[in-house]
Amino acid sequence: MSDSHIEHPTPQKYVQIAIVLGVLTAIEIALYYTEDIVGVFTDPLLIFLAVGKFIIVVGWFMHLRYENKTINRFFIGGMILALILFTIVMVERASANYF
Amino acid sequence: MSDSHAYPHEPTGVETRKLGMWVFLSTEILFFGTLITTFMIFKGSDFPGMKLTDVYDIPFTSISSFILLMSSLTMVLAHNALEVNDQEKTRVWLLATAMLGAVFLAGQIYEFTEFYHKGFELSTNIYSSSFYVLTGFHGLHVFIGVVLLLALWGIGQRQKGLTLEGGMNLEFVALYWHFVDIVWIVLFTVVYLI
Amino acid sequence: MTKIIEPKRQSSIFRRPSSETGIWSWITTVDHKKIGIMYGYAAFFFLLIGGLEALVLRIQLSQPDNNFLTAAEYNAMFTMHGTTMIFLAIMPISAAFFNYLLPLQIGARDVAFPRLNALSFWIFIFGGAFLYSTFIFGTAGAPEGGYLAEEVGWLGSAPNGGWFGYQPNAGMKYSPGTAMDYWAIGLQILGIASLISAFNFITTIINMRTEGMRFMRMPVFTWMTFAVSFLLAFSLPIIAIALFYVTFDRKFGTTFFLTEGGGDPILWQHLFWLFGHPEVYILILPAFGIVSEVLPTFSRKPLFGYAAIVFAGFGIAFIGFGVWAHHMFASAISPVAQAGFGLSTMVIAVPTGVKIFNWLGTIWGGKLKLNTPMLFSLGFIGMFLIGGLSGVTHSIVPADTQQTDTYYVVAHFHYVLFGGALFGIFSGLYYWFPKVWGKMYNESLGKIHFWLMMIGFNLTFGPMHWLGLQGQVRRTWVYAEETNLQFWNIVVTVGAFIIALSIIVFMINWIFSKRNGEKAPFDPWDARTIEWTIPSPTPVWNFSKAPIVKSLDDFWHTKYSEDEEGRAVKRAEADQILLDLEEEGLNPSEHIELPSPSYFPIVLASGLPFLGYAVIYKSIPLALIGSILLLIGGFGWGTEPLEEEAFEDSHE
Repeated sequence: MSDSHIEHPTPQKYVQIAIVLGVLTAIEIALYYTEDIVGVFTDPLLIFLAVGKFIIVVGWFMHLRYENKTINRFFIGGMILALILFTIVMVERASANYF
Repeated sequence: MSDSHAYPHEPTGVETRKLGMWVFLSTEILFFGTLITTFMIFKGSDFPGMKLTDVYDIPFTSISSFILLMSSLTMVLAHNALEVNDQEKTRVWLLATAMLGAVFLAGQIYEFTEFYHKGFELSTNIYSSSFYVLTGFHGLHVFIGVVLLLALWGIGQRQKGLTLEGGMNLEFVALYWHFVDIVWIVLFTVVYLI
Repeated sequence: MTKIIEPKRQSSIFRRPSSETGIWSWITTVDHKKIGIMYGYAAFFFLLIGGLEALVLRIQLSQPDNNFLTAAEYNAMFTMHGTTMIFLAIMPISAAFFNYLLPLQIGARDVAFPRLNALSFWIFIFGGAFLYSTFIFGTAGAPEGGYLAEEVGWLGSAPNGGWFGYQPNAGMKYSPGTAMDYWAIGLQILGIASLISAFNFITTIINMRTEGMRFMRMPVFTWMTFAVSFLLAFSLPIIAIALFYVTFDRKFGTTFFLTEGGGDPILWQHLFWLFGHPEVYILILPAFGIVSEVLPTFSRKPLFGYAAIVFAGFGIAFIGFGVWAHHMFASAISPVAQAGFGLSTMVIAVPTGVKIFNWLGTIWGGKLKLNTPMLFSLGFIGMFLIGGLSGVTHSIVPADTQQTDTYYVVAHFHYVLFGGALFGIFSGLYYWFPKVWGKMYNESLGKIHFWLMMIGFNLTFGPMHWLGLQGQVRRTWVYAEETNLQFWNIVVTVGAFIIALSIIVFMINWIFSKRNGEKAPFDPWDARTIEWTIPSPTPVWNFSKAPIVKSLDDFWHTKYSEDEEGRAVKRAEADQILLDLEEEGLNPSEHIELPSPSYFPIVLASGLPFLGYAVIYKSIPLALIGSILLLIGGFGWGTEPLEEEAFEDSHE
């Protein structure tokens, strides 16, 4: 763990990352208001942006990039499991009403 | 953790408590996953009555979301300051984080009150129920985070200052805080924007 | 705070903040062994209560149109029987094994977070007490269109919506009163306990292994603990949220699962079984682990296909997440989902079959010693196989629709959870009895126990297959005389009482042997894993020196080598090695430090029932008491010096 601390970014870098996050948020809000123009692409784009922000915070602010692979596997595994399970539930609930 | 004796620990090289914290956060994914799934299922249904879009105040929520996002920056700066053992800066950034969190919470309370006055109560319909329980559960997490941050700040006032050793130290509070932040990143999109 | 045990444990022990013996030493202990023993006794206590509830049910069903119980009482009894057996008996008794054995099997001195371990035990105790306090404080009124309030009685004032609390039946309309609130919040509290212990065991296994204890050298029991902890960590959050919804529906007027407000009762089933099916494997995998330890020891052969068993265990754990909807074939789920979950249910039989073949391969050609643990393990294989096969029949959706809610299903899951999990657990209780108490149990009584239980078990649950296929319905307090179901029902009831008798034999054996049993050698079974390298009973400090593991079944290889034909030959120096181990184990040459006892886990845990009552009765004062207890516990915990810090201080 001690060696991983050495690689952590500098404060300047953190501020730059935060600016990126802020810009992404601004785009999200803009997308909300331009839904009529962007149309069907709005929701996928919004999800894409949220995932991007998520990865940035987890990877850099939470230092997951610099962590041991055990931790990475665990967190990412939990993430994937949750995604699969809940996708199935949502799809099943949505489709049950049509059959 | 030290191996003062021949008794071995941590064959993986990860600190035990950090590992425990990440395991905890991984299960938190499932907590919020269940809440979000329920919310999505109900959001997609067409039950008559007041809709979420009837009460939302997107500009307001955008600002409070931005505030919570920036609290992650101050948190990571506090962590960074402690890594180079700058106690003064650590305390300042900690307090800043706690304050930003408190502002976010105040915003949420204001938002809930507004919605309530518009007639959008907990038991109005499934939209309101799932909205309040989901965002309320997140709010509870923010509240606990603020308490932990203030506790750390209090400990930091002592002569010895803060360290990155020992129990619920700054690193773990930081991990928790960032996690609460990423949950809101998802919630902001899923609950409000989509 | 660190407690320091001098090699011969003299005066320094009196300087420690807490007592070594007596009730306070148990209340404040953070020793995984004491916690394990307490888990065991508490779970056994609840096992007895759950068993009594089952006997009451069986008395009611022994005659057609019987009126020993009212419908209300019957509902409460089967709900409490299921809930008790699953959450208060089998899960905690598995936790007892995890606690006691896990650190010993990986060569650790304690779990990763000893105080959290104590916390999860006390939360479990308070959760169980909270759930059972429904008999004192709870009420169950008359459901809409159901029985009358005066039929409820004392026995009926308990949760009565089934252990899976299907909605809207478990909602306020059909389960009025507070009893189901006790159920929902009680399970919530018990869930917290299991979740905390899951974190603890995962980190313990990953990080507390001794030198040379690579993953692929860990005993299978440890592996199964690992798998169970994963299942707990990822499935309990789902039920926790679902129970939140139930509580909100019942207490605060929301309609998550009630159609009149736009809610979705099927969503409850999804969320419940998303947890509930992994839960099945949470109950059975520990028994798999125990059996995989017992069979090689008493067959005097290595486990056949160690890696296959380990991976099959994880295969089961993983696929176990993907089969939940086979509990819902009779609910309105889409045909695609039915087909998909039918398939995945068939698939999960594969790793389970792999395990069965591995166990058979282990016994094959071995020199079997038919001691009681071995008998229970063999019984386990047979009974679990029957339960597993009747389980596969449920994957055929049309057949399942026919079997749903009949005694066929009851027979199936009792073969898995009683014939499987409980037989495995008894096997383990006998197997490790000498290690825990330093005494031998009485072998004849043990065998009587086994045969009585085997006969009683099959008399009880075997005929249920036929009763179910003949159409006897679950969760119904009477059946008509014309159905001709009486004969087998009487057999079932007789069987249930034979099981009760076998449990009495077990208790007599336990109490007698613990007091007056023969003194146990430290390796009575000529065993294979490192928990047998330390004295019996286990010293407080477990291992005097951190063991160094060089292979799978390390202890066996210390004692035995192979001749040219691959037969095990005892090493010449083996006896001397054992003597040395015992000497060192009893008189450690090194300075030993253990985490010190703490009051705060029990204080923290005691706050939770108050919060539970506060929600049920919407009482601010109770909420305040609960919060204050949590705060005191948390603050005390946080400010109490940590073992790790003191660890360094005291050393330097």
